[in-house]
Amino acid sequence: MYTSRFDYLYVAPALLVMLIVIAYPVYYTIELSFYKTPASLSLADKTFTGLDNYSTVLTSAIFWKVTWQTIIWTVLSTLFSFLLGLGAALALHRAFIGRALLRGLLLIPWVVSAVAASYVWKWLYHSDFGAIGALLNAVGLTKGPVNFIDNSTTSLYALIVVNVWKEFSFAMIMLMAGLQTVPESLLRAAQVDGASAWQRFWHVTMPQLQGVSTVTVLLLVVQNFNSFIIPFIMTGGGPVGSTQIWITHIYELAFLRQNWGVGAAYAVLLFLIMMVLGYFYVRALTRGDDKRAGA
Amino acid sequence: MTNSEGRVQRSGSATRRHIAKFALAAMATTSLISTSVYAQAVDLSKWSPEYVKSIAGTKDFDAAKDCGAVVPNDYAGNVSYWYTGPFEADPQIAHDQDKAFWDAFHAAYPNIKTDVQSITYNELLDKFRTALLGNSAPMVIRLQILGGVEFAAKGYLNPVKPEDYGFTAADFWPGALKSVTYDNTLYGLPTNNETMAFIWNAKVFKDAGLDPEAAPKTWDDVVAYSKQIHDKLGISGYGLVAKQNAGNTPFRFMPQLWAYGGGSLDETAASPTYKSVEINNAGSKAALQAAYQMYAVDKSVPVSALTNTQAENQAPFIAGQLGMMIAHPAEYAKMLDLASKATGADKATADAVVENMRYGLMPTGPDGKRAVVFGGSNIHVVKPEFVDGGKVDEQAVRALICMWDSPEWSTRLAWVGSNPGNINGFLTTSMKQRLDTIKFLDVTTSMLPNGIPFPVLPESPEIMNIVVPDMLQNALTGNMTVDQATEDAAKKIETIIAGGGGGI
Repeated sequence: MYTSRFDYLYVAPALLVMLIVIAYPVYYTIELSFYKTPASLSLADKTFTGLDNYSTVLTSAIFWKVTWQTIIWTVLSTLFSFLLGLGAALALHRAFIGRALLRGLLLIPWVVSAVAASYVWKWLYHSDFGAIGALLNAVGLTKGPVNFIDNSTTSLYALIVVNVWKEFSFAMIMLMAGLQTVPESLLRAAQVDGASAWQRFWHVTMPQLQGVSTVTVLLLVVQNFNSFIIPFIMTGGGPVGSTQIWITHIYELAFLRQNWGVGAAYAVLLFLIMMVLGYFYVRALTRGDDKRAGA
Repeated sequence: MTNSEGRVQRSGSATRRHIAKFALAAMATTSLISTSVYAQAVDLSKWSPEYVKSIAGTKDFDAAKDCGAVVPNDYAGNVSYWYTGPFEADPQIAHDQDKAFWDAFHAAYPNIKTDVQSITYNELLDKFRTALLGNSAPMVIRLQILGGVEFAAKGYLNPVKPEDYGFTAADFWPGALKSVTYDNTLYGLPTNNETMAFIWNAKVFKDAGLDPEAAPKTWDDVVAYSKQIHDKLGISGYGLVAKQNAGNTPFRFMPQLWAYGGGSLDETAASPTYKSVEINNAGSKAALQAAYQMYAVDKSVPVSALTNTQAENQAPFIAGQLGMMIAHPAEYAKMLDLASKATGADKATADAVVENMRYGLMPTGPDGKRAVVFGGSNIHVVKPEFVDGGKVDEQAVRALICMWDSPEWSTRLAWVGSNPGNINGFLTTSMKQRLDTIKFLDVTTSMLPNGIPFPVLPESPEIMNIVVPDMLQNALTGNMTVDQATEDAAKKIETIIAGGGGGI
């Protein structure tokens, strides 16, 4: 609520920086999305084409193929990261010897640089000399090279495994924090009433985790929609475009093909989706604020 | 009122105009004199490893004196320059030569102030693009061989004449000049040029029953050798590279495509128009069929070729698990480096591979055509309106380019991984020292006359780094037949050169 004109002065520097580094690039991207920008012309000579770039994107078969791959990538990455994170959080919630060490170890994937992790996994998966393939051969499960990322059928799923490995720790931390807020008295009461472990988890713990779970899932979805490093480094979008997702496709169009206008239109579509997700994220974060303010 | 640069004319401009006229006349005179500074002494028709060795060290040049005939050594001015200089990972000799050049330049032109930035290869293009949009670019920039075409097409670069800098067109490789000519206009000068060559492991060849001292003569031989190595030894024969969105892929596949008589456009022609699409001609199809044969039928190349860049081929090569591959002149030094880092049994294997490493000429196509991608860098002059301060000191720019591209410095500044852009550099003592100390340099250097630059179009990176790898992957994975893959690539290239943009 407005209290003093000086309040605006205090936030002005931050607002100014945000205008320059966030608002202007967003504005410029939206503006660029209405122009044709051939590689042979400088951006100063771009030509206005209205909604042509949006039409080009939305009527392209490649766009819909990439969209489907983006959905698979985002949904599976989010789902398995959340489930694995939840399992790890529940396991680490109970006291046992070595819990702190295990918690530290499980955090490693999250703190490792995505670039380094991508290269390490690329070698683990390597179709000729990969450790995973060698292990599978050694235990007799396969014969000869195992083709994870050089195969257009399996490559996207192989990359999803890497992504889940990289980000499940994030879900784990969030949910561990959420578990701290579950009242012990409720769990004890349920136990006294004869509830099984599963019933206590499903009817007591999970409802208490609803808020943090919503925020975690939304953050994971946003992160996965924008996940660039793993697919770009490990496969460059291939083989035959099988690991191309929106963000890597936008990068290819804008920076590798210098098709800035179409890339910008594509980016605006992604931005709109992010805005919708952002709305739900803020709503999830501020749920109950009005009630508390009223009280 | 504005002058020709669109800037407000200041008082006293009439006097300046007279001075400018006088300066222009003086420059024209000196340029006429300077065209004879480097008389052509290299016979390109005799080019071979033996010829390269025979001419090295036969002539010395005095860059400061020669350039003094182009721009007086007492000229006072300033020049700003961006380039990719030596960085931490580069050998000490590259740092030493770079420092020696700037010391020599300041000694030759003590009154020219320099504002020099060394920017990494990966950052240079983006930084330059940004600077141009803000009219804060340097006066001179050195870019990788096709880096300049985008800026020439967009009107950022000044046309140049070799004579203005004390050279003639004959001082440079024809292929190098072709790579810096856009819309029939020369917009830069080659500073250094290199071509790749073919390397193989002689022990692997011997163990597979092949002649250990002879490179495969033709690309059909490569297919056959690769199969023989794989079938007999169970390792990959040829280091095929076919990653999407990767520059390594066209550098290794296009020589094969050209040798078979193919092309993306008509880049192999003496005077290419870049209008006719040739990616779907019989030669291109034969080359793709050969790659398909190795990957999908014989399975004699790495399965990981679809995600491999050249870096991923180095480890199996040094481990003796790969028979042959196309490689940069600096590959031998890289292998030495890898061997030096190996330990235990790996060290013995790596040392044996280095010992058995051989360099040869690229294989030919069925008709005896040999081709390789022409690599290197060019130096460009930016138009004044895009330069920081709005002015280009033309005399200082000439002095810098004359010195940088002189036979001596063009050789010394390309010491480690390239060759002099100025052909006369091959005559210098420095070149002889390089040949004496850099193993296989004579072989990689002798590939230069077979060099073909990628199409000199702003869309070239898109065609080479995306369309060509896409075509390879479509065929190798069986997603399309060879015919379908080449026709699909042809359609994409047609759309791209028609200005339609690709990828969507």
